[in-house]
Amino acid sequence: MGALEAKKIHVGYSQHLIIEDLSITIPAQKITTIIGPNGCGKSTLIKTLARILKTKAGTVYLDGKEIHNLDTREVARKMAVLPQTAQAPGGLTVFELVSYGRFPHRSSMGMLKAEDYDYIHWAIEVTGLGDLKDRSISALSGGQRQRVWIAVALAQGTDILVLDEPTTYLDLAHQLEILLLLERLNKAENRTIVMVLHDLNHASRFSDYLIAMKDGKVIKEGTPSDVMTCEVLREVFNIDAQLAPCPFSAHPICFSYQLCKDVEYVYR
Amino acid sequence: MIYQTEGQLKKKRRFRTLVLLLFVGIIITFLFSLNVGYIRMHPREILLTLWGQGTYEQSLTLFQFRLPRMVIALLVGAGLSVSGTVLQGIVRNPLADPGIIGINSGAGLAVMLFLSFYAGTSNVPVLVLPFLAFIGAGGTAVLIYALSYKRHEGVHPIRIVLTGVAVAAGISSLMIVLTLRLDPDKYQFLATWLAGSIWGSNWKFVHALWPWLVLLTPYVYWKSSVLNVMNLGDETAIGLGTDLEKERRMLLAAATALAAASVSVSGGIGFIGLIAPHMTRRLIGDRHEYVIPIAALVGAILLLLADTIGRWIMQPSSIPAGIVVAVIGAPYFLYLLARIKD
Repeated sequence: MGALEAKKIHVGYSQHLIIEDLSITIPAQKITTIIGPNGCGKSTLIKTLARILKTKAGTVYLDGKEIHNLDTREVARKMAVLPQTAQAPGGLTVFELVSYGRFPHRSSMGMLKAEDYDYIHWAIEVTGLGDLKDRSISALSGGQRQRVWIAVALAQGTDILVLDEPTTYLDLAHQLEILLLLERLNKAENRTIVMVLHDLNHASRFSDYLIAMKDGKVIKEGTPSDVMTCEVLREVFNIDAQLAPCPFSAHPICFSYQLCKDVEYVYR
Repeated sequence: MIYQTEGQLKKKRRFRTLVLLLFVGIIITFLFSLNVGYIRMHPREILLTLWGQGTYEQSLTLFQFRLPRMVIALLVGAGLSVSGTVLQGIVRNPLADPGIIGINSGAGLAVMLFLSFYAGTSNVPVLVLPFLAFIGAGGTAVLIYALSYKRHEGVHPIRIVLTGVAVAAGISSLMIVLTLRLDPDKYQFLATWLAGSIWGSNWKFVHALWPWLVLLTPYVYWKSSVLNVMNLGDETAIGLGTDLEKERRMLLAAATALAAASVSVSGGIGFIGLIAPHMTRRLIGDRHEYVIPIAALVGAILLLLADTIGRWIMQPSSIPAGIVVAVIGAPYFLYLLARIKD
């Protein structure tokens, strides 16, 4: 059984359906990454899995139960979500914002308990924000801010993490740090991770399972070696890719690529 | 192990200091305000009167005119400020105030309709006007909510703002039409009402107002963490396990009731709900556990101060507190804008 399952879901904004009749299973305790071109519906899919968007038809299951029938707070204790659009009011400090991650565990007016503090401090430490605890959010760089948001999701202390492009705004080293952190959380603590990444090589290197999407449909899913093939990349991204095994993970990575001929012709 | 960070402790101390300072400020303003008005009283006379040793005229002035008015100013200031804080949190826009959910225009229209179709303002049971204003304000808020409601999607903050602007514009044009029918006396009453004079110096108004505050302010404070999370955007709020639609409806209802109850006894005071939360956020940041209590105190002191200045500056006549608030508030806002630029 998967940690998250979508069965025959239809999702869209008012009249326009973005995803039609899609079924997918997110394996438990694995890292799953959704890849695909801009506008293919990967963000829509991940938001639907995270119950931020409602389905028009079909159902999302969390641990085998219909997610929309579960108490939303209870869901938040099992699954943390980092949306792409997260924004913080500038008047908060790093610590304050990260402490909001404990929201689903607190009673309405409850003060933070020792356990809450442990989670908050841990989340701040592992995201490398220890020195910035009392800094106000408005004084942070884009990359630091993104790490704070990841810390918020981590402070939630959930088995499942759903992240929509967690590495945007980060430089190369910080991107890697975040991905290594996620890998560590997965390997050492068996957390299930589902994310959207734009960088195919990161997706391939760090994932156990890849889902390639185009036009609201799943084109191919499976291990990185199943999905990172010339055929799939041509179909999904319209590129001719040169692939080779990654020296760190042995998963295929793309070291260079060209637009497919027919596409190239359009630009000439 | 020390769990709280240095910054947290510092903020907590800052919060306590601010509460203390604001209380002291309120007491000083209160004592000063007692002394201001048409009938001059020496501070010693005031003390004696408060002690029960004053003349009949003195105790009448103090207990039946000044004190209720001052208490109303404090309560209305706190109510509008808390309401504004909540609304700014719900729509995630620092420029929101109770005006956007039609409180002022709705109450104004109700008062206007009453004046248009009823003989006069004397001889009316005291609580009729506040009651009508409350109904008008609440009704308009409900209308705006209903108009911005979309099936399956619920209520989006931005739609509330836009619908609010449209409804307020509609109401004010209706009021202009109705103005043409009013005789000068009624018109003057209406104009002063709309400008936000605290016209009801009557303990009955105090009693009509305080239960709302006593009930709703703790409720809103209890919802601090929900407001905090709402501030992070819809998606994050849902992800953290907020029943967004329900919480938004409840908080909107609370903010509406607070503002409607306030405006119903004070007249159309608008600016407080915008400016007091703003000042508060500058003082203490964005955590609602701190913002709500401080905003209540800031709103209370601001309106009492405004009303006191309004009574003092052009003695023996007075300027409506709403106008004084706007005169002080507008430059403050321009100052804020100028600071944002750089």
